[in-house]
Amino acid sequence: MHKNLDINVHHITRVEGHGNIVVNVTNGKIEKLQWQVPEAPRFFEAMVRGHSYQDIQTIVSRICGICSITHSLAAIKAVESALGLKVSEQADKLRILMHYSEQLQSQSLHVGYLAAPDFFDAPSVVPLAARAADVVKTIVKVHRIANEWSDLLAGRTTHPVTLIPGGLTRIPTEKQLRQLQQTLKGAIPDLKKIAEAVLSVAGNIPKFERPTEYVSLKQTDPPTYTFYHGGITSADNKGAVVPIEKWHEVANEYIVEQSTAKWAKWHCDAYAVGALARFNNNAELLSPMGKNAAKMFGLQKGCYNPYMNTVAQLVECFHVVETSIALIDQLLTKGLKDEKVTSLPKAGKGAGCVEAPRGILFHEYEFDKKGNCVAADMCIPTNQNHANIQKDFEKLLPEILDESENQIRLKLEMLVRAYDPCISCSTHFLDVQFVR
Amino acid sequence: MTDQTSKKKVVVIGLGNVLLSDEGIGVHIVRQLSNRQDEFPLVEFIDAGSAGMNLLHLIANRKKAIIIDCAKMGASTGRLTAEPGTMKRFTANEVQSVKKLIHFSLHEVDILKVINLSKQLGECPGEVVFFGVEPASLKPGQKLSKTLSGKIDDYTADICKELD
Repeated sequence: MHKNLDINVHHITRVEGHGNIVVNVTNGKIEKLQWQVPEAPRFFEAMVRGHSYQDIQTIVSRICGICSITHSLAAIKAVESALGLKVSEQADKLRILMHYSEQLQSQSLHVGYLAAPDFFDAPSVVPLAARAADVVKTIVKVHRIANEWSDLLAGRTTHPVTLIPGGLTRIPTEKQLRQLQQTLKGAIPDLKKIAEAVLSVAGNIPKFERPTEYVSLKQTDPPTYTFYHGGITSADNKGAVVPIEKWHEVANEYIVEQSTAKWAKWHCDAYAVGALARFNNNAELLSPMGKNAAKMFGLQKGCYNPYMNTVAQLVECFHVVETSIALIDQLLTKGLKDEKVTSLPKAGKGAGCVEAPRGILFHEYEFDKKGNCVAADMCIPTNQNHANIQKDFEKLLPEILDESENQIRLKLEMLVRAYDPCISCSTHFLDVQFVR
Repeated sequence: MTDQTSKKKVVVIGLGNVLLSDEGIGVHIVRQLSNRQDEFPLVEFIDAGSAGMNLLHLIANRKKAIIIDCAKMGASTGRLTAEPGTMKRFTANEVQSVKKLIHFSLHEVDILKVINLSKQLGECPGEVVFFGVEPASLKPGQKLSKTLSGKIDDYTADICKELD
């Protein structure tokens, strides 16, 4: 066991915002162990105030480059709830299809570009591309398919432009949907290839468990492995579903000294959201290929290993592709119709909730009678996971204290990565110096 | 889905977050350039926002890619080489990234590493040109700083020369 240990995975660039891991062990005693998020506070909620209900989804789509469709959908559902707008069955299905594209985009990106280097013991995906070119090319191919899928439904790969309160401004043609369906069918062997590659190194996934409350959406009518409809649930809530309007009673956000991001708790002192939460709450509703993928990895409902979140993401890749193929069949069978969407401003308040790839996301807005936003509130999945990461750290570190400093550092970093956090959600500017 | 061979050979990509003032300069510039699409029928203009990693797909198998982004050019090393509002043209070979990534999050993207990955995959354009604009402000807000907004016509004019 280490008598003394000083790990400081630290970033000081506050503008971008990063998470810090701080470990201090003195004479075998853990003096300090913190997951810190010293992110500069952002003011997205203030930014939408004063804007028309018609513009909210466009503005919030810019919060994040990875979950832009998800943010837009959460916003538009909240707006529609506030104004009492109904959405047609066709628009609803097309939105879900759009949302699935972002799930595949983000999950494949996380599994392939961020988690895979850990599993394959590579510093990043760039050197991995040289060592395991075939696997990386397959991951890039799947990610590219997901991007083009988003492009078709959302009008752009990122920051969607087809969503408006009440429906969609543009829909794909039946021919385009058929082509998408063929592409998705063609992607299944690629997903299997990725799954086999990850399975071959699955022994590198740390074995660690901590009983955890997992929070996600749950849809009972009809029972669906949901990312879009339904209410909020957890096993600690005995599987009961809480309406999304009561999300404040679930998130119970609070402030802690070690983080500028808010933390959250429900029945326990922390909870987790994300792919593993969805799996733990809804696994029996996965598509057949999703279930097979889970079986390949021995992933079972009630899994308490947070590192398995990455595997759950992979499982969801199969699920969204298979489910989308069926969804396109439903759309084509009914035939696509041009639908005119109109809406009028109205005073009201509404909440919208969807599953971002990295977990449940809440938006809430209030509008005056002119339809201008007077209040906004958002609760992102990453903030809901911060307290849980801290609690995982507190159980994990004593269990691995006899390992090398590098191993301890890696396992703590891998744990954070497993949660697929959205820490520096919105900036990525170049930071360069000239060498010539 | 997109036929890779039907893509325009030259792409101009504006990157950045328009909710953080000058961080969104790439998007603001590419929006201006898009208004001149008729002058450049063989060029595709893309507002890619803050989708850093998607850049890999947007540049794949093009002949030339022009990337416009907010850029701190030397500030991190204490050797400031550009005043706020300065736009510099450079290639990936002329700079080195001093961006510190910890690989915690998909949201940390080093564009120069994306170019490296594109090269590894054998699909990087023969010519990749950056136009970096030194920010004056990265504060939350949807407007550019006065320093940058006053120069946007100059920026677009300079980038258009690259397209002639």
